[in-house]
Amino acid sequence: MKCDEIRERMPDVAAGFSKPTIDEGMHLESCGTCAQELKALRATMAVLDEWQTPEPTPYFDTRLQARLREEMAKPRARWFQWFRQPVLAAAFTVLLGIGVGVFYTRDSGMIHHGQEASIAAPPGTAVGDLQALDKNHDMYSDFDLLDDLELQQNVAANP
Amino acid sequence: MSTAALDPGMLMAATTPQASAGFGGVDSDAEIMLRAKAGDQSAFDYLVQKYRRPIVSFMYRMARNAAAAEDLAQEVFLRVYRSRESYEASAKFTTWLYRIATNLAVNHARDTRHERPEVTVSLDEPDEESGTTLELPDGTLSAEQMIVRRERMMAIRRKVDALPEQQRLAVIMHKYQEMDYKEIAEVLKKSESATKSLLFRAYETLREQLKEFI
Repeated sequence: MKCDEIRERMPDVAAGFSKPTIDEGMHLESCGTCAQELKALRATMAVLDEWQTPEPTPYFDTRLQARLREEMAKPRARWFQWFRQPVLAAAFTVLLGIGVGVFYTRDSGMIHHGQEASIAAPPGTAVGDLQALDKNHDMYSDFDLLDDLELQQNVAANP
Repeated sequence: MSTAALDPGMLMAATTPQASAGFGGVDSDAEIMLRAKAGDQSAFDYLVQKYRRPIVSFMYRMARNAAAAEDLAQEVFLRVYRSRESYEASAKFTTWLYRIATNLAVNHARDTRHERPEVTVSLDEPDEESGTTLELPDGTLSAEQMIVRRERMMAIRRKVDALPEQQRLAVIMHKYQEMDYKEIAEVLKKSESATKSLLFRAYETLREQLKEFI
């Protein structure tokens, strides 16, 4: 047996949790270093034994019962339990808001296009003219720009 | 919902031979915990009663003061109760129990590492760290001798406290909770050989540090 092997077992032997095996006993008889180490470790364990802890106080049991009672009174966790966490709740609310916003934006766009397609009036009628004007709204909104361009061309031609 | 755990008499009865006979013998603690998981309140009471003293003792040695130790020990049992439905008997019950206790103790130690209480010795009041009072039960020790004994105990405690966290945990579980290497390794999530080495180094340090007390 090697010294390293018995040293691994020394804490158990020194604490009295197990006895040396026959091989270990023979090694301890022949190896002064290991025998000395075991003796010192036994003395250390004896000193450590002096560190005692008191019994739990009566208050411990009373308090534990009260805390268990509180625990039992709590409703069992539900699938939405996570929503009670403020950060998750805030994140969920923001996501919900974004989702609702996106839905209504898309939805209103579809209805607008659908309405255009469904109530197209025949050309020549008042409604038809208004729809034609509406379609050309972009062009009419650029009229001012076209006027400016024309004015610039006139200035360039007649400085 | 059962209220059995709320009855102090029930808690005490769990330690009597008659009451625990049903849980003794071939039933392991893991099996008893599985019964608690299935809703058997008396099984949970039995485990609380069986492990209340060792867990309080473990927490006394890990925490900085007696009051915190009892609070932490209660929290261990509350966590066992809360997580009973997710319990799987894949390891020893004590491994699971001490893993919960270790996590709580380590977190508490980290949170309060700057809050070391002042060490005082009083004849009348319980000691903040050990929770003991200087009573003279048999009259064999004088008050002065009791003070010397307590100071010595506190000095030993400080030497253990000074160990690196993992070594301290290993020593407390080995020396005072009498856990074997394999179980300590499982609680600390280390290999068994690494745990042996950790313990050997810890005891080597303590052997040097405690020389003055031998």
